Amino acid sequence: MTMASQDTLRPARAPAPLRRKLVPDRFLPYGMIGPAVFVAFAIAIVPLAYAFWLSLQDWYMLRRPTPVWGGLVNYRQLLQDGALWAAFGRTWIWMVGTVFVELLLALPIALLLNRESAIARSASALILLPWVTPFIVLGFGWRFLLDSDVGPIHGFLNAIGIAGDSSVLNDPVLAFTTIIFISGWKGTPFLVIALLAALKSIPEELYEAAEVDGAGPVSRFLHVTLPEIWNTIVTVGLVLGILAFYSFDLPWIMTKGGPQDATTIVGIAMYKAVFLDLRPAYAAAISIVMLVLLFLASLVVLRARRKV
Amino acid sequence: MRRYNPTREISLDLLTLVVLLLFLLPILWVFVASVRPETDITGAGLIPTRFTFEHYEAILAKRPFLIALKNSLIVGVVVAIFTTALALPAAYALSRFTFHGRNFFALLILGTQMLPSLAVLVPLVVIIRQIGLTNTLTALIFTHLALGMPIAVWMLKGYIDAIPKELEEAAQIDGCGRISAMVRIVLPLIRPAIIAVGTFAFVLSWGEYLMALALISKSDVKTLPLALQGLFDPYSFSWGQVMAGGTIIALPAILLFLIFRRQLVGGLLAGGVKG
Repeated sequence: MTMASQDTLRPARAPAPLRRKLVPDRFLPYGMIGPAVFVAFAIAIVPLAYAFWLSLQDWYMLRRPTPVWGGLVNYRQLLQDGALWAAFGRTWIWMVGTVFVELLLALPIALLLNRESAIARSASALILLPWVTPFIVLGFGWRFLLDSDVGPIHGFLNAIGIAGDSSVLNDPVLAFTTIIFISGWKGTPFLVIALLAALKSIPEELYEAAEVDGAGPVSRFLHVTLPEIWNTIVTVGLVLGILAFYSFDLPWIMTKGGPQDATTIVGIAMYKAVFLDLRPAYAAAISIVMLVLLFLASLVVLRARRKV
Repeated sequence: MRRYNPTREISLDLLTLVVLLLFLLPILWVFVASVRPETDITGAGLIPTRFTFEHYEAILAKRPFLIALKNSLIVGVVVAIFTTALALPAAYALSRFTFHGRNFFALLILGTQMLPSLAVLVPLVVIIRQIGLTNTLTALIFTHLALGMPIAVWMLKGYIDAIPKELEEAAQIDGCGRISAMVRIVLPLIRPAIIAVGTFAFVLSWGEYLMALALISKSDVKTLPLALQGLFDPYSFSWGQVMAGGTIIALPAILLFLIFRRQLVGGLLAGGVKG
């Protein structure tokens, strides 16, 4: 469009300018977008393709320094790897749990912040803090808060009888539950901001009409608010679910996957396969299976969107 | 809801404050612990009474921590510059030109945004190892470009879309070339967005943990998140120092984000959530 209008403008100028173009306009956009596309290729497409190739190799670094063709050997081992499937099982609980905590916290907070007061506006800025604080800080911060000697939150959990003398992070079930909660807490701000944007775009007339029809606050929420923000919930929930599925930082920093593998989600299992077991090809097969499972799950979730 | 009711508003404001305080309490506690004497952290109740900067002095006197600080700054700044330099022309091309493969390229760049680092961790680490770049900041910088570039392209495209094309056309009639029209007209108008995008890339790189953990093991190329872990590991460590180190990492991220919030939140939502 730009090029067309430029061409039609050209005859209006009396003498054609003598400026010689180094790059004709036809190639210019490719030159401009090229470097970014190159980087995207190098950090996304090439690694994905290489992961697929690698997953078909037989490469146990303690035995041989270079990969040899192994066909489906990794996938066959993967199917029989009970510990890995346990990690996959934990990852679904982790993912659903994280998104559940996020929804549970974000929905009331977003409704509370959807007002015009100065406090509500500053609060919707400050609410972002957990989202922007790096995992390493939150991980160590929570380890401090839950420490059985010095942690104030451990003291609280101890007082109400959830934690015994030792930290919740030493108990398999409690550690997993706690870290899921922390993971949800960290992701909540993103959902709050998205929900706020959706809430603010609901036309006022819908509420007025509902009020005229005699709808109370609860029924206004169920029949006006919820349908209007449903697609945001599904889409952002999916994004947050994908992030949770690919979690590594938080459980690794807080418990290194322990106690007794209780927080070993699949990301950690994959990391251990490369760096502790020295089996990069097997780890590549895990990452391919992760991609496939995630793709299938996303298709299912996207069906929950309302057709507008 | 629509009728203004002062009592209701004030009580909702109070409730907001309480919820906000509870929500941010874990982070506040990290800050508070970093300025309390070690003996108070371990034994003197929840309410801080004495303040000290001894933990900050102690970790800023540690060589490994200072080296990590320097490395994180180098990586963050270089990533910010490269991210912006790559994203700006790409965003301009996507906004102003129609060309074959435009949608494909847009999808490719945005698609990388949805790809978590963990999904490409194994192949990237193997490739980087084979070309002999483990334990270099170069490799880390390269992987960190993935963190912010796609969203940078998306955000800048939004800003460029909002600038009327006629401004550049006018400049071109006056004899400007395409590129000089972009540099002289568009660039000054989107300067705040460019700064925001660069800041964003810096912040993402500054706190990044997984790639650094996977690629770097030598102490002279460690970045801050790894150095913080180093403070933790020895047999005797100080909670105050770990929390002070955490604060040093968290504070720039939090402050820069709050300053550029207006530009960033819009881009985040558009880039991450556009269904």
